[in-house]
Amino acid sequence: MTTGQKKKFKLIDLILITLIIALIIYVLYRIRVSIRYEWSWDIIPKYLFRFDDDRGRFVASTITHGFIMTIKLSIWGIILGTLIGVIMGILRVQNGLFGRFLGRIYVDIIRNIPPIVLVFIFYFFFSSQILDNLGFEEAVLRAGPAMQNFVRIIFIDPKLLNEFLSAALSIAIYEGAYITEIVRAGIESIPKGQWEAGHSIGLSRFAQFRHIILPQAFKNVMPPLSGQFISTIKDSAIVSVISVPELSFQGMQVMASTYATFETWIVITILYFVLTFSCSSIFSRLLKKMQSAD
Amino acid sequence: MKEKIIGETIIEVDSVSKTFDRRIKALRDVSLKVKQKEVVVIIGPSGSGKSTLLRCLNGLEETERGSIIIDDTPLDEHHKNRLKIRTEVGMVFQNFNLFPHMTVRDNIRTGPRFVRKEAIDEVDIRTEDLLEKVGITDKIDSFPRQLSGGQQQRVAIARALAMNPLIMLFDEPTSALDPEMVGEVLEVMKTLAHEGMTMVVVTHEMGFAREVGDRIIFMDEGKIVEESSVEDFFENPEKERTKLFLSKILDNGGCE
Repeated sequence: MTTGQKKKFKLIDLILITLIIALIIYVLYRIRVSIRYEWSWDIIPKYLFRFDDDRGRFVASTITHGFIMTIKLSIWGIILGTLIGVIMGILRVQNGLFGRFLGRIYVDIIRNIPPIVLVFIFYFFFSSQILDNLGFEEAVLRAGPAMQNFVRIIFIDPKLLNEFLSAALSIAIYEGAYITEIVRAGIESIPKGQWEAGHSIGLSRFAQFRHIILPQAFKNVMPPLSGQFISTIKDSAIVSVISVPELSFQGMQVMASTYATFETWIVITILYFVLTFSCSSIFSRLLKKMQSAD
Repeated sequence: MKEKIIGETIIEVDSVSKTFDRRIKALRDVSLKVKQKEVVVIIGPSGSGKSTLLRCLNGLEETERGSIIIDDTPLDEHHKNRLKIRTEVGMVFQNFNLFPHMTVRDNIRTGPRFVRKEAIDEVDIRTEDLLEKVGITDKIDSFPRQLSGGQQQRVAIARALAMNPLIMLFDEPTSALDPEMVGEVLEVMKTLAHEGMTMVVVTHEMGFAREVGDRIIFMDEGKIVEESSVEDFFENPEKERTKLFLSKILDNGGCE
């Protein structure tokens, strides 16, 4: 179909839509009739917001806490992952053998192990061994309430700090490997002639990179990078296995105590969707702005 | 027309060899001297090593054996020497290689600003002068993609000149241009030559070679086959290989 033509609603579309609607109705009907699923949506709201008698107002409850935790984890994962990815990506296009080797090893290892294994490694080795000995958590717990509050706002409840740090770091290291490849591809997509032109007007290797290659690579890198950011939000669900109270973990908690399986997961699904979809709309708007800027 | 006084030797290439991928001999034992204010035109079939030789002169390609001395500075492993040579030798590429994310102005002033650390008003005056020289004053705030090929190449020449180079290298500067734009670029190059710029030009433009060249070097298979004054080269070439090449290129008639 050529792009100039107006898309027409054809009979086949009508048949497909009818079939899909029929299927949905059938499934819902089976749920009602044969599984005898009792919908109990009324128990959901209190897991979103509950009335706090002490404070006399509504406060966030289990699922909302998880939603906020997922946002925090994603932000830290994206910040740290981008940092790792940019450094490693630049190392991968260096002339130096060591940097290239390091970048290559990192990407190969991370991309060839399941993320859940990475999360466990980080939790059991990094968090329980190294972080405990470094004593961040204890230091924060001993510090004044102002410090504790600060940690609570930007990370998590100080009692769970080690879990949060190992969760954020494992997400960052996992996403960082993919960002490394995005950055590498972005830099390598700039024609060799650009480096050579910089060389011939006397720019140092660093200045060539800084003034000529990076600004051009940045534009190429933004679309795949924003896609990777969205993935980070979704991938953050994996750290539920180390009991970080993010959205999926809270979902399991609510399900376990209410047995309202469908309701809980429908709510969780909607929340993830709202988060990722709004982020991707923001990104695509930003990208459009960037493109029209020149 | 050629009343200019040729000066001291400024480029000295001594038995330089280079191999690509350990097999392909790009340059075999090439020696060459270029004097100040001289315009040397290098011609030869593709793969003859003429571009490689040019690219060796500003360190874009590494040589394996032999030495290159430019303005008394050896092109060796010393960073300082290499940088000095890179700033003294300007280069114009076949595909212009303008920086697409910068305006014409920024393309030209990048070198002076970040290498020579010159004050911005000083650079701006020179930028405008250079653009006037290459005849594109009205495009100073345009981006390269808004210019025609000929205009882009003229900006590229201005960019190289912004560093006040002693020598200009041209690597097939008109090969990527539409025929009707070749003239405007050659015109700028002719002006430069008449002003006494030392130039090494790799080109297929025989008309240009005849008009402004002082010396012609014919290369084939990584070697300098023949080296002579422009008159001798076209009127009575010595080597058979040269005659064959000349008959092919002149019969086609596209280069005059």
